[in-house]
Amino acid sequence: MVSKTEEEQLNRLENQVDNGGGGAWEYLSLLIKLKIRRSDKVLKYGVPILNDHKKRSALGPEEWTLYEQVCIAAMDCHQLDLSKDCIKVLKKKFPGSRRVGRLEAMFLEAKGLWSEAEEAYTSLLEDNQFDQVVHKRRVAMAKAQGNLSGAIELLNKYLEIFMADHEAWRELAETYVSLQMYKQAAFCYEELILAQPTVPLYHLAYADVLYTIGGLENLQAAKKYYAAAIDLTGGKNVRALFGMCLCASAIGHLAKGRNKEDKESLELQTLSAVALEKDYKQTSPSKLPLVSSCLRSLKVPL
Amino acid sequence: MGGEFFVGVLGVLILSHAAYSTIRYRSVLKITEEQFSGPPIDVVIELIAGMVLCLWAALSVPGKFLSIHPHSDENRMVALPANLDFIVFNHRGKAYPLDMDLKLN
Repeated sequence: MVSKTEEEQLNRLENQVDNGGGGAWEYLSLLIKLKIRRSDKVLKYGVPILNDHKKRSALGPEEWTLYEQVCIAAMDCHQLDLSKDCIKVLKKKFPGSRRVGRLEAMFLEAKGLWSEAEEAYTSLLEDNQFDQVVHKRRVAMAKAQGNLSGAIELLNKYLEIFMADHEAWRELAETYVSLQMYKQAAFCYEELILAQPTVPLYHLAYADVLYTIGGLENLQAAKKYYAAAIDLTGGKNVRALFGMCLCASAIGHLAKGRNKEDKESLELQTLSAVALEKDYKQTSPSKLPLVSSCLRSLKVPL
Repeated sequence: MGGEFFVGVLGVLILSHAAYSTIRYRSVLKITEEQFSGPPIDVVIELIAGMVLCLWAALSVPGKFLSIHPHSDENRMVALPANLDFIVFNHRGKAYPLDMDLKLN
């Protein structure tokens, strides 16, 4: 999870490193901590540290973490020679390690040798049946080959065993959304909200899915979840505010005539519209007229 | 940090002095054979002062408070982490090779 302060810290550090101000190692470890994918930067700043003997030995045992990080980043950027060198170093240091074995299988994946990679993962699983990362890699491999239904099948099997893995639930939800299977995606997001009720982004994603499914009941539920997201972010999430406006407008269109809770709905819409206009006034005043005319057109005449 | 810690130590000293004074007071009472109805007023004042100092030090020495509001900057999630366990290498990055010459030596 990346909170606002952490994001600011990351941006500051990235700026500093990009402008040659030092702190490359702090930046790289922050990337690991926040699980952020910046493979090009990892290569740009990680390789010089690994090549500098003094800097490298100053890291202590963290040196090997950096090798692993650089190795995966190199695969992501298709610098296969570099990742091969990293694996060689790691293998020499940790012979017979399963973690290095995983890297080797990932290297096969990056090369596009799917059947070899599958074999490698199967043998790793024979060693330890409950290696979660290897199970996840097999899902990712199915995804990489474009076999989304296979990935879903594997993920469902995985989630039957490891039900508490919210990252896997999220992956499943996103895969369902990409296949436009919104009912199933909604179920996954419900699981995510149950597991981590304080993360506004799950509420937001669930509301998005419900809004996409449509229908009066779903729209009303979506409105509630947008409201929850606004509540949890203190009204600083623009997407939730826009979603609230759209939901209220869609409900107004659908429920014309039988207006029971129209008043409350209208109030919420006006409030979020005001919040949006205030936000735009602060951050980009040039777009304010566009936004206000758009928000006005969303209002349903009673 | 140093100043606050010193205030805490001072508070503990004042409290122990108050305890010492009470014991002395009770032994004096025993000699004069009077009933103990409560500590004298200066000991009570000392107790309150010591407690306030200790409280203040205990609240400020261990560190600063973290926000419990879900919408404060420390707690507000703005991005989900990239799902790195499911990272896929079969993407358009292949078509855009990096213009860096990177080698381990």
